[in-house]
Amino acid sequence: MHEMALMGDIVQLIEEDATAQGITKIEKVELIVGEISNAMPDALRMAFEIFRDQNLHFFSQDAQLVIHTEEAKAQCVLCGTQYRPRQKIALCPECKIPSGKLLSGETFQILSYEGSSD
Amino acid sequence: MKVTLRTDVLTNNNKAAEFNRELFESTKTLVINLMSSPGAGKTTLLEETVRALSEKYRIAVIEGDLATERDANRIRSMGAKAVQINTHGGCHLDARMVAAALGEFDLDEIDILFIENVGNLVCPSGYDLGQNHKVAVLSVPEGNDKITKYPQMFMRTELVLLNKIDLLPYLDFNVEEAKQDLSEINPQSVLIPLSARTNEGLHEWFSWIEGAYNRCVQQ
Repeated sequence: MHEMALMGDIVQLIEEDATAQGITKIEKVELIVGEISNAMPDALRMAFEIFRDQNLHFFSQDAQLVIHTEEAKAQCVLCGTQYRPRQKIALCPECKIPSGKLLSGETFQILSYEGSSD
Repeated sequence: MKVTLRTDVLTNNNKAAEFNRELFESTKTLVINLMSSPGAGKTTLLEETVRALSEKYRIAVIEGDLATERDANRIRSMGAKAVQINTHGGCHLDARMVAAALGEFDLDEIDILFIENVGNLVCPSGYDLGQNHKVAVLSVPEGNDKITKYPQMFMRTELVLLNKIDLLPYLDFNVEEAKQDLSEINPQSVLIPLSARTNEGLHEWFSWIEGAYNRCVQQ
């Protein structure tokens, strides 16, 4: 359960920042999860619910997790074609040679959180 | 109140990886993060590597497994220093675990440190440990389709060691197809076919290590 460990990191980072901001109750967390970031949205949602329910002093009962998926995109350095990389990430669908570089899809970030000081 | 963070989830891991990297650079230690699925032969390969190179280099190994001290004991019996990390269910090593294990070594007394990651083709690829090189081991019985099935591993490793080639006559592994697939996922990556059991091809892996070590100490 890789996602439990990741959610542990997420909660810790938010807790540190919230403490500095004087925020004591978290209502919403927004993540950006790249398609090839190695994190599974469904498993992250499940992990979030577990962390929330076990930390109700810090999360409001109905705190929600919003996941923004970042599409994986690549571009051929030779012909400029942009494509959605599947398995053969570097293979340009036009040139048929491995001349593609990833543009996006690896991001895994905490975008924001919302909370109050009650 | 809404607070925008835009912080990488792996921020703490990456900080620890930077800490490790600075330590490795200042002590001129070559560090190789070895990853594969369970049973691909990482430990056997390391045993043979220690056997062949320990007269020339001072080698140490960090072993990552969910449980047991078995792999570290195997390496110790070859005469190299080894520290076992048990992740107790964790599916990968992270940079903090490695940083903690480094306390067991005097890096000034080590030329090459191998980190044998937990056997898993998925999670370990996402964690920077501060290593100089990420190397994947793939073995013939797994089948050549693993490269396209786990592209996130093979897009991040610069060398693939194809182990157990002594079994090629008995199995349907297509080496040319594997090379082709690898070049279409990661054109910079190199594939070295070898067998840790018969020693075929090992010299090529050892020259790769030697080249990497020379580059590391010249920096």
